[in-house]
Amino acid sequence: MTAILVKALADLRRRRVQAAVIFLTVLLAMATGTMALTLMSQTRDPYQAAFEAQKGAHLQVEFKASTDPQLLATTPAIIGASAAGGPYPATSLQFKHGGQSFYVQTFGRDSAGGDVEVLNVTAGHWPRANDEIVLTRSFAELNNVSIGDTIKVVSVPAQSTLKVVGEVVDIDEGSADLSSQHAWVLKGAVPALTTPGLSTYLMDYRFPADPTSSQLQGYVDRLRASLPPGSITASINYLLIRSIFNITNQIITGVLSAFSVFALAATIAIMATLVTGIVISAFREIGIMKAVGFTPAGVIGVFALQVIIPALAACLIGIPAGTILSQPLLANSSHALGLPYMPSFSLGLDLLLLVGGLVVVSLAATLPALRAGLLKPITAITIATAPRGRSGGWLRRQAARLRLPQPIVLGIGDAFARPLRAALTLVTVLLGVATVVVAIGLPRSFQLINNSETGAGNYQVVINRSNALPDAEVMRILNAQPETARVVALDGENIAVPGISDPVNSRIFRGDSSKLAYMVIAGRWFSGPGEVLAPAGFLHDTHLKIGDTFTGSLDGQALQLRVVGEVYDISNLGHELFMDYATLPPNTPNSDPSTYWVTLRPGSDLNAYIQRVAGTQPDLLDVHPNNTSLIGPVKIIDSVLLVLAVVLFLIGVGGIFNTLLLNTRERIQDTATLKAVGMSPRQVIVMVAASAGLLALVAGLMAMPVGLYLHHLLNDVVSTSTGNDTPPSVYDVFNLFELMAIPLLGVAVAIVASLLPGRWAARTNVIEVLHAE
Amino acid sequence: MSELVRLTDITKVYQGGVTGALNGVSLAIEEGEFTAIMGPSGSGKSTLLNLVAGLDRPSSGSVTVAGSDLGRLSETGLARFRRDRIGFVFQFFHLLPNLTALENVLIPARLKSRVSAESAGRALMSRLGIGEVADRYPSRLSGGQQQRVAVARALINQPTLLLADEPTGALDTKSGDQVMALFAELHQEGQTIVLVTHDPKLATRYAARVISMLDGRVIDDARLETTERKPADVIRVRSEEPSR
Ligand SMILES: Nc1ncnc2c1ncn2[C@@H]1O[C@H](COP(=O)(O)OP(=O)(O)OP(=O)(O)O)[C@@H](O)[C@H]1O
Ligand SMILES: [Mg+2]
Repeated sequence: MTAILVKALADLRRRRVQAAVIFLTVLLAMATGTMALTLMSQTRDPYQAAFEAQKGAHLQVEFKASTDPQLLATTPAIIGASAAGGPYPATSLQFKHGGQSFYVQTFGRDSAGGDVEVLNVTAGHWPRANDEIVLTRSFAELNNVSIGDTIKVVSVPAQSTLKVVGEVVDIDEGSADLSSQHAWVLKGAVPALTTPGLSTYLMDYRFPADPTSSQLQGYVDRLRASLPPGSITASINYLLIRSIFNITNQIITGVLSAFSVFALAATIAIMATLVTGIVISAFREIGIMKAVGFTPAGVIGVFALQVIIPALAACLIGIPAGTILSQPLLANSSHALGLPYMPSFSLGLDLLLLVGGLVVVSLAATLPALRAGLLKPITAITIATAPRGRSGGWLRRQAARLRLPQPIVLGIGDAFARPLRAALTLVTVLLGVATVVVAIGLPRSFQLINNSETGAGNYQVVINRSNALPDAEVMRILNAQPETARVVALDGENIAVPGISDPVNSRIFRGDSSKLAYMVIAGRWFSGPGEVLAPAGFLHDTHLKIGDTFTGSLDGQALQLRVVGEVYDISNLGHELFMDYATLPPNTPNSDPSTYWVTLRPGSDLNAYIQRVAGTQPDLLDVHPNNTSLIGPVKIIDSVLLVLAVVLFLIGVGGIFNTLLLNTRERIQDTATLKAVGMSPRQVIVMVAASAGLLALVAGLMAMPVGLYLHHLLNDVVSTSTGNDTPPSVYDVFNLFELMAIPLLGVAVAIVASLLPGRWAARTNVIEVLHAE
Repeated sequence: MSELVRLTDITKVYQGGVTGALNGVSLAIEEGEFTAIMGPSGSGKSTLLNLVAGLDRPSSGSVTVAGSDLGRLSETGLARFRRDRIGFVFQFFHLLPNLTALENVLIPARLKSRVSAESAGRALMSRLGIGEVADRYPSRLSGGQQQRVAVARALINQPTLLLADEPTGALDTKSGDQVMALFAELHQEGQTIVLVTHDPKLATRYAARVISMLDGRVIDDARLETTERKPADVIRVRSEEPSR
């Protein structure tokens, strides 16, 4: 055993460069794999823990303000809730802070505790006076509001100020970058802050066990049936909030695990190549080892260990590194949940990864080494190296026919001289290039989606009015500006739809909304009253398709609606409706639009426009440029993709480097001969580079369809998890030039990677090599 | 006849070598000469030949071949020199196993120019009696055939100087004789040849000049007026060889 180890260590020292390649690639693969598994195993638990700790509401229902609170108090019993919170009076509050205007749904609540929806006060304290308010920490962080700040309420005519006295984490709402936010004041403060007609009651319900989606729907239906029509204005359940909370991590873990598998596959290919290569080039040595008494197993051990030792070292570093690297993302999650951040990992998982990594590595190293173990000593000694195939002749002849320079012809012929090695190399490079394709394409797809959702390039100014300023007055101001080219006004309503438990958030447009950049996946934009568009999630859950009609209900009134198109929208995971303002019954209360998207004429001065419009009603109008930047989670996913692309790219470079090293070492005799008959050092370098270039070119060309398919697939995964189908234009983010440039760039990188082995080959000492006969 | 090769006071000490492989060798070779270098194993024959071929550089002294001082050439310059001026035949052929015989022959030509030399290569191979095996791989050729392929490769660029280091050392007698007959024929046509061998019979039968070496020195330089041998001289040299 010691003899085997001693020999393996000695060989390892001799093959330092290859050991380094193995170390690095295994390190990268193990680190990404560990990250993926750590995230996967650790993210679900914290939400569940926080949900239990904060007695999260399984169901939150909003009732019309006219509903009798007495009656509401009986609702828990109607649906068999084990605990309930509320009724909390609520109103939509608009306030100004730091020149910006914000909307929060504000609840009257006298304490943070209770049986349901315990609010975790992370800073400051609960309101003690009527002029105090607490915000969610997520909101405060996103919008730079601090404890002690004063905010100016502008949604009621009698303007007042409130002091921010606390920040809370609420397990029953999503983060501020994905969802609108709640705020709390004392119950007694609500009446003075309430806009007439814009107030509601909120009830929180908790059930003995986690209800399913259909159970939840049953509860809402039962509530609806037992209360006057139109009493329920909105509802939301924990399943949606949990999905919203988990979606980023879900996508990240999905992407990470898929690409870790790639990284591992590429690494295995490199290890197998290396061990096969070492065995091939060491035939004589193997013969001698056997002659001096190494058993077949011993010989296998020597060769396998040379790869297992650096791989083990890489696992020992890569697994903790991956665990550590996953911490920022986990810390991000626990922060969002208001949980104290604790380094979260599982020793068991890490040990499992170590064992799994070693098993895979050992197999990848041992299987190719079997050949060495089975070799007969005499054959081994006499043939010195494994015979090389004659393949490459065809390629060489084609290259010669093209009158390519001899070094290139020879290099091209060498590329596939060992077909198995070439195939394994192609795999590593292919995976690298395909990942790069995905890492280039997916952020672009996200950008397209983001542009359509934020109206980038479509409208430049967003205006919100205070309820104290009538819609007609806002329209008059906007139409009086010479730069105003188009105004689309928006109203939001919650429309109850059969088959969906929570009333569906609806975007109601007034003006030429067809010019907005929303992506219509099928059908068409609405062109008249009663026509609606919805994302796939809505259509799926309601079993509706384009052309179908259904009856929705708004404020107790029936609405006849017909689906005319499928639109892309991630809000509420695809539970949305898009329609024209004319669809609303004329007597719908508080349905005047309060948001305005303004498109300016080309060449207009945006800032001058904003200042002028804001100046007309400084307190009652909130005017700001349309914010089209990417949301946080997308940025995180983009950066994870970038890291993965770099990792797989490096592994691909390692793969090609390793193969070239083996090829040039193996062909040192041929190189010496070529130099003897007049090949210059430069020509040797060109020969090695041509080999590398051809391998990379073939791999690159094969990688393009693979990369494009993966890009397609990941787009679908992301779309599906947000309740959508992928718009066709989102797949289509590469131009012809890039489709050609990416493989060529791979070729360029491979050529650069070949320079080192090429230089070593060029420096071959002819005399020494040929003398060593 | 003009001078083609001049070695001036050459020494060569290999890295790690205790004594010099060459210790002050000076000699000149004329154009059109067929020179044999003889000597016991380790006497420095190959070292000398490699220096003339521009495969290695002397530790001191200068090597001039066809007017160019090899010491002044860069690595690339030396490679070009080998390609254009030198044909080298090795004891162990050193053919590239994954190339056909013809492709092996054409390497120096293709390194030199992209103009197709294929017909020239085939013609040369036919002349050397290996025309039929041009498209075979080396592993399917006999030793004699392989060495003739190597000779063809050495000749393809019409070198100024043909160097051969024990070209028959790995061949059976018959194949060896064929290769040597080929050399004689080439010499008849005016090719300058330097042949390293430790077979005195070969040296004296074919070469007009025999240089004998021992311990890195030239100990004898015999010009034979005819190819009829004067074996006594040569055999004397051999008998002086100290026992090692
Ligand atoms: N690359 C080298 N490195 C170190 N020493 C060398 C090298 N090549 C040759 N030598 C030594 O230099 C001396 C001369 O060797 P050389 O090969 O020139 O002899 P030779 O006359 O060709 O012998 P042989 O008949 O065995 O081929 C010998 O002692 C040899 O061991
Ligand atoms: Mg020799």
